Order: sequence, then structure tokens, then C-alpha cells
Amino acid sequence: MKLLEVEGLTARYNAGDVLKGLDLTVDDGEIVALLGSNGAGKTTTLRAICGLVPHVSGSIRFAGTQILGMKTAAIARLDLAHVPEGRRLFPGLTVRDNILLGSSNRPGVARADLKREVDAMLDFFPDLKPLQHAYAWTLSGGQMQMVAVARGLMAKPKLLLLDEPSLGLGPLIVQQVFRIISQIRERGTTVLLVEQNANMALSVADRAYVLEAGTLLVSGKPDALWNNDQVRMAYLGGLAASA
Amino acid sequence: MSMLPQLLFTGVSIGSIYALVALGFVLLIRSANIVNFAQGEFSMMGAYFMVILFAGLGLPYALALVLAVVLMTVFGVAFAWITYWPLRDRGQVPVIISTIGASILLANLILATYGPSPQVLPGLFDGTGFLVGNVFMDSQYLSIIVITVVLVALQYLVFEKTMVGKKLQATSQDREMAALLGIPVVAMIFGTFAYSAALGGLAGILVAPILYVSVGIGAMIGVKAFAANIIGGFGSIPGAICGGFIIGIVETLGAAYISVPYKDAFAFVMLIVVLLVRPQGLFGERIAEKA
Ligand SMILES: Nc1ncnc2c1ncn2[C@@H]1O[C@H](COP(=O)(O)OP(=O)(O)OP(=O)(O)O)[C@@H](O)[C@H]1O
Ligand SMILES: [Mg+2]
Repeated sequence: MKLLEVEGLTARYNAGDVLKGLDLTVDDGEIVALLGSNGAGKTTTLRAICGLVPHVSGSIRFAGTQILGMKTAAIARLDLAHVPEGRRLFPGLTVRDNILLGSSNRPGVARADLKREVDAMLDFFPDLKPLQHAYAWTLSGGQMQMVAVARGLMAKPKLLLLDEPSLGLGPLIVQQVFRIISQIRERGTTVLLVEQNANMALSVADRAYVLEAGTLLVSGKPDALWNNDQVRMAYLGGLAASA
Repeated sequence: MSMLPQLLFTGVSIGSIYALVALGFVLLIRSANIVNFAQGEFSMMGAYFMVILFAGLGLPYALALVLAVVLMTVFGVAFAWITYWPLRDRGQVPVIISTIGASILLANLILATYGPSPQVLPGLFDGTGFLVGNVFMDSQYLSIIVITVVLVALQYLVFEKTMVGKKLQATSQDREMAALLGIPVVAMIFGTFAYSAALGGLAGILVAPILYVSVGIGAMIGVKAFAANIIGGFGSIPGAICGGFIIGIVETLGAAYISVPYKDAFAFVMLIVVLLVRPQGLFGERIAEKA
């Protein structure tokens, strides 16, 4: 079943289209990677899905609902979570409260149940447990990334958008983050993953799209992309050739 | 016999008024990055709603007070809709100018309706007060202190312990991210305006029996509340409250021991001293335009 269907999406900020007629789908239960060089329009794609880009046209259907033109908070309340570029934690709130606020798309849930959910989330991210009462601004980059992902998962999202979760993290933490992404899928959450680290992204993804200057260059299964010379040269780096 | 305890009692009470208004002011900074220069006029409007409802329509005092505060929440929403909403994406300065414009408009609206002569409003209680030791606890001054303490405690609980409070804090720290989580940020901001206006209006009603109700009351309270924020640390909630108390005490003591005509100057002397010695304020980080 198609969970997210993007058709003919164009987006621009002020001058010039940043996305030029993008088509993209994510099926229920998939991990889909969105790759491309700096400035290709990956972040813009995720922001457009969430109603954060001022000028958009085309169609974005999520779980059967046309969400293009809807307000950001209303889109979130359809159970679509976005872990944005740069983590964007609330610096003056504790780790616990940051995670707790991830449930804001489900305002009806009782506080006692939310408390249990946060505790369960801290079990899922044991590294965060001792930090739960620390202010978010005191954390390291890797710890912040985990809080951001935990906050996203607190939405119990049908679809989780992850924008460069490995950015700025050391190799060990990157591996940990990708392990978590695999575990997220095992929990039944669908993921649209934007990454610079194409090797890692393709290792967990079911399918991938490669963007170039706002249009789709190629898409397919990881194997096919590994074997596409043009893609390998441009986006997968030297490592891919030897992998 | 020393006058000091009596003066401190008066100072804390007047300071409570400044603290309430400063609190409303700082909440808008924190929830929406809005510096509202019409905050003092909220107090003026509250007092004049009371003049209409109690003195004009003859409603019982308690009912008039509740109605006036409710009207202030509506007024706060209307104020936000007119002065803030059309300019929400234009940055801080246009909104500041718009609130300055609103304060001038409101003051002149009152001037045109009621003229320059002050109106008289009674206090919350008929009784005049009682003695504790050698301090006379005037009922109006005392009720101001009690109401302020209760409101501050309540607000602390709401902000720190409830989901709504946490969502408000999230909205103030990163509005876009708050929306991405599904927090209704627009409702949060309008709600803050409503609450802020209610606080300011209540302060105006409480202080009315002490100061008389006139056009100038808004500017006077607004300026003191602004000074309270700078002294306490711009954008800091505990700072705004302490700053309010400090100004209330300093000006009361200054008036008693130094000079009555210069009463209003002491707040500014205090402000200048703090800016020279500790420019970030007592609780603040730094006075700089937030990026
Ligand atoms: N807020 C904005 N205002 C104007 N232009 C923008 C804005 N954000 C992005 N752009 C432009 O849109 C284009 C695509 O940017 P986008 O952030 O989507 O790229 P990206 O693929 O996420 O890149 P990166 O890998 O570096 O994060 C870039 O040319 C960028 O300059
Ligand atoms: Mg990006």
C-alpha cells in the first residue's frame, strides 16, 4: 500500500524552482532513502511534505489524504513525524520533556500513559536514560541525535522523515544510529531517510531515489544503484567501487 | 519607631503590580518573541472595563471584576489579531512599532471617552485592614500581594508541570519545530496574548484604588514593568517578578527617605545602575537581539 505519494512536486523559496516536478512514493513498511549532493533539494522535499515551503505545487498524498496546502501542525497530527536537519531540540527543556513533546500530535493521550511511553523510549535508547533530566543544550551531537529520533518516534508515526541523522557524528555513533533505524523498521515504522552517507543509507534501505538539482536522476533498489556507474561515481564515492 | 517594615509592606505590594505586568510582558517575549509596548495599556484597559462594569453598570464588585478579566482575555486576542498577526512573518521591529502605535491609540481612545480627570474605583474589600506588630496591613495592599503570590505559583506549576506549559515553552524556543510536532502554535500564541492581557488588566484593577484610574496609568505601569524586565534580565520569568518587586521597594523607600516628587525617577536610577554593573540583568544571559 502506498503511504506517501508525491507527484509532480515543484517547490521554490523566492527565486527559481528548487524542486522541478518530483515523483516519489513510499510504501507501508519500507525504508526509502533519498540521496543527492549538497543543494540537490533533499531537505526541501522533506520540508515541502511537512508544509514548510512557501510555494509548492503538484500533489502530496499521505495515507490517502491530500496534504499539500495543509498547515504543518495539522499534517503532523496525521501521524507524520519529521526529525529535521540539525536536530532542532528545545534547548531549554530536559531530555525527558523533549521526548515527551514528541507526542504532541496525539493530544488525547493521558499523561500517565505518556509517562510510560517515555520510559519505554528511554529503555529503547539506554544511553539517554542517565541524561533524562539534563537540559538538551548540554548534550553531545550524538546524544542530541538520539533524542531527536526518540522525539520523532514518540509521535508513533506512520511515516518518519529523517534528515541526515548521521551528519556530524563519529563513525561508531553513525553505526549506532543506523542500527536504530533498522530497529525502527522492525517496530513497523515506515522511514523516508535523507542521507549524504549513501553507503550507509543503501545498506538499510529497501529502495532509493537519487536527486540532482531538483529532479530525479534515478531510483531503484540498492543493488541496482550500486551497479549504476553514473550514480556510483557521483554519489557513492570511491568506497562503493570496492564494496 | 522605624517606618521600615511598613514601607517594605507597601513596596512589596506596589512591586507585585509591576511584577504581574512584567510577567505578562515576559510571557509574550518567551512564547512569540514579541516585545509588547502596550503592556501598560492592558492595565489601563482592565481598570476602565471595571469603571464601565462597576461604576457605570452598577454590577456587584466581584462579578464586575470577573467579567472585566474575561473581557481582557477577549481584548488580548483582538489585540494580537490586529497588532501582531498581520506582521507575524516580518520580524520583531514591525511588531514593536505596531504595539507602540496601539498603546498611543488606546490611551487616546480613553482620553476621548473619559477625558483627563481620574476615575475612582473602590478596593476588593470594604474593611480597611488590621495591625500586625506595628505594620498596618491595608486590605487592598495585602490582597494585591496574596493574589500575586498565588498567580505566580500557579503559573510556575502550569509552565513547569503541565503539558500545555511545556508546549508553550517549546513554542517559544523553536516555533517551527513545535509546529512539526503537531503543537498548535497559533493557538499557543493567541492564548499567551489572552493570558497576558488578563494579567495586565487584573493588575490595573487591583492598583486602581491606590493610584486612581486615569490615562497616564498605562504608560506609568508599562514603563515600570519594562524596567523590571531589564533589571531582572530580559526574557527571564523569575527576573521579571524579582525586578518588579525590586522597583516597588526601591521607589517606595526612595519616596519616603529621599524625595516624593522624584518617586518615579528611582526606578530609572535603579535601571541605570543595573545596566552599568550587570547589563544582562539579575537573572539574564545577555541583552542582545535574538537571532
Ligand atoms: N530557506 C531557503 N530560502 C531560499 N533558498 C533555499 C532555502 N533552503 C534551501 N534553499 C535552496 O534550495 C536548494 C536546495 O536546498 P536543500 O536544503 O533542499 O538541499 P539538500 O539536498 O538538503 O542539501 P544538503 O545535502 O546540503 O542538506 C539550495 O540551492 C538552497 O540554496
Ligand atoms: Mg539538507
